[in-house]
Amino acid sequence: MALASTQTVSKYIPTHWYDGWKRLRKQKTAIVGLSIILFFIVAGLLAPLLAPGHWDGQNLAVRLQPPSAQHWFGTDDLGRDLLTRVLYGARISLWVGFFAVAGSIVLGSILGLSAGYFGKWIDTLISRIFDIMLAFPSILLAIAIVTILGPSLVNALIAIAIINIPTYGRLIRSKVLSIKEEEYIAAAKVIGMGHTRIILRHILPNSVAPIIVQGTLGIATAVLEAAALGFLGLGAQPPQPEWGKMIADSRQYITTAYWTVLFPGLAIMLTVLGFNMFGDGLRDALDPKMKQ
Amino acid sequence: MKKIVSPILGVLLAVSLMLTGCGSQSTTSPSAPQAEKTLIEGRGGDSVSLDPANVTDGESLRVTENIFDTLVAYKPNNTEIIPSLATEWKASPDGKEWTFTLQDGVKFHDGTDFNADAVVFNFQRWMDKSNPYHTGGDFDYFQSMFGGFKGDKGCVIADVKALDKTHVQFRLTVPQAPFLANVAMTAFAMASPDAVKKYGDKFGQNPVGTGPFVFKEWKPNDSITVVKNKNFWQKGLPKLDKLIFRVIPDNTARLTALQSGELDLMDGLNPSDAATVKGNSKLQLVTRPSMNVGYLSFNTTKPPFDNVKVRQALSMAVNKKGLVDAFYNGMALPAKNALPPSVWGYNDAVKDYEYNLDAAKKLLAEAGYPNGFETDFWAMPVARQYMPQPQKIAESIQADFAKIGVKTKIVSMEWATYLKKTKNGEHPMALLGWTGDNGDPDNFLYVLLDKDNANPPAASNISLYKNDKVHELLFKAQITPDIQVRTDLYKQAQLLIHDDAPMVPLVHSTPLLASASYVKGFIAHPTGTERFTEVSIEK
Repeated sequence: MALASTQTVSKYIPTHWYDGWKRLRKQKTAIVGLSIILFFIVAGLLAPLLAPGHWDGQNLAVRLQPPSAQHWFGTDDLGRDLLTRVLYGARISLWVGFFAVAGSIVLGSILGLSAGYFGKWIDTLISRIFDIMLAFPSILLAIAIVTILGPSLVNALIAIAIINIPTYGRLIRSKVLSIKEEEYIAAAKVIGMGHTRIILRHILPNSVAPIIVQGTLGIATAVLEAAALGFLGLGAQPPQPEWGKMIADSRQYITTAYWTVLFPGLAIMLTVLGFNMFGDGLRDALDPKMKQ
Repeated sequence: MKKIVSPILGVLLAVSLMLTGCGSQSTTSPSAPQAEKTLIEGRGGDSVSLDPANVTDGESLRVTENIFDTLVAYKPNNTEIIPSLATEWKASPDGKEWTFTLQDGVKFHDGTDFNADAVVFNFQRWMDKSNPYHTGGDFDYFQSMFGGFKGDKGCVIADVKALDKTHVQFRLTVPQAPFLANVAMTAFAMASPDAVKKYGDKFGQNPVGTGPFVFKEWKPNDSITVVKNKNFWQKGLPKLDKLIFRVIPDNTARLTALQSGELDLMDGLNPSDAATVKGNSKLQLVTRPSMNVGYLSFNTTKPPFDNVKVRQALSMAVNKKGLVDAFYNGMALPAKNALPPSVWGYNDAVKDYEYNLDAAKKLLAEAGYPNGFETDFWAMPVARQYMPQPQKIAESIQADFAKIGVKTKIVSMEWATYLKKTKNGEHPMALLGWTGDNGDPDNFLYVLLDKDNANPPAASNISLYKNDKVHELLFKAQITPDIQVRTDLYKQAQLLIHDDAPMVPLVHSTPLLASASYVKGFIAHPTGTERFTEVSIEK
């Protein structure tokens, strides 16, 4: 989104994107959300520089220490520095969130585009599969998938990606259905353009805006789902510093050492909040009805 | 702004996930009419089966202890032998012939008479693999305590016969020193012959004994209910009308349930919560005399653990003192032998491997693994008396192993599966432990480390450790009546075992329990299973 705002550059950018950015900048919540996201991205990237210790640096002698000058967030029950683990946890959560959503979008788009564009039995088949998947509570479906694949962070990512495919698939299908009837598509067909070219060059670019909005909001959901799977012991495996896993590991200390659950919990909350605020703002900014 | 709600939901989700372990059903709260006295005990895992002869885990035996009786029993607070179904017993001078005099007029819960024929029926069922009722499991305990089944070379029991209605005689192939202590074990309890015939391999779900409580209902992974046996042979007992064993896997959640009155008694208190219990006037802390060992077993048949240097190197990389301080609140001793110091025969001269990561790394390089290796590290899914937080302990050991280059992946599975797979030797490295059953060193060393018990799929020696010299010593100790000689033999065996390092003995814990203060007469037994015959609720 970091597009320059000078007039010269704007010539090369589709106007509705540029307009969107202008409107986005005016939305305070979106900018706050974006800042939070950037903050966590930077924290994750610079974790080796920022973190005071090693994320698996166990020291039983200093277990369950409250926040102090030496350990800003305190230490957990194995004497590991919590600030370090929360910072490294940002890497895991954002990585899972981003790639799970990317996976859902790619697969969802392929299926949604095929269903919407070709219609007939292809549409019926794909739509019914989506309906079936949506009939399951998504976290249950994720648990089932992870159980089959075996508990690990990568498998949790795959499971989260799979359960979210129908969301994107349906979204893009509905968009394709309306675009397909546009005159320029008819024109493209008339001059003998192939299906692939029509889909990739004309339909896809015009249906991508709602996907971006949904994807941003989807990252928040994915982060939460990864945390839930981690909490259940089905996602990240010890000693990985995944936030949900950190809460699960420390929940027995909630009365005696609140910081062990507070900081990972805050990290989850802020990340989710950031993506939701940004996603909301993005939706408003990209909505054509909002055009001045 | 709809989406703003979801982070709040997220926090609620996290909180609610944390609380789910607590359960919320209080439909069986103890505030029923005064006539009905119900006690609910909370515990960490479900029973595997209620056929005592076919289980080895404490969660199963804890329940069968209250449904069944043994010929002889232990005192409520130690492992001294007292009469139970047998009122008297006598050994011949050579120790090879034992005669038990039985109580007359005792009946099983289903009305079947208890007599010498029933005793013979039970022993035949356990010892004879060709017996039609030798079903429902592997009879592991019989195999490990009596040296195998009928026809096996090591089998101690040659013959059992009924002399008359109330006298039963055992002929042994060798004078087994711990014979009487073995017969008293909860596992060798008298089952109703009629019920065994009726249910066959389903007897474990339909247990019928002579004990103080009658089996009523088993909801898997939730609760087991037993009710008062009105015709119990100890007149006027038990004092309770109903006893419920409820599964709450998480130690903290279980304590919360006790505090809220959902439970009357709980097993497996986290040592770190002892202060909470002491500070609550409505609760009382119960300590169980220590007679256990928590250990890390290496599968000595799987590379690289078949290399003794690797095992020794890893033994040096375990910070036992740190584990005791961190996870037992000091309520445990670092272990250097599989045998706990509370049992006679303990060899204090064994010098433990010193916690030294540099030396460990060096030894590992000598063994041919200068860069370490990768392996799975199995950890129990449930809290045990000898290990209240197995996952944490695994994670802590994992970090130390990583420092010497041994990268481990912690693997966990459902409890019954875990036991089954470790007995089958499928693990490379696994946490487990043992609580003594009869106070004899044989019950630790022979069960956990003799080659006789290293045979999958029913290995109680899950390290599958086979050392002929150790076997010789342990076997000799078994058939020698003189306790001084036996002590000496066990001490020698412990030295050999130490050098071979088939397992890392981690700790001997003093398990903690907690109960509501109105629970009276509860005494925690060192074997980990206790009777509720004398327990009452006085509100």
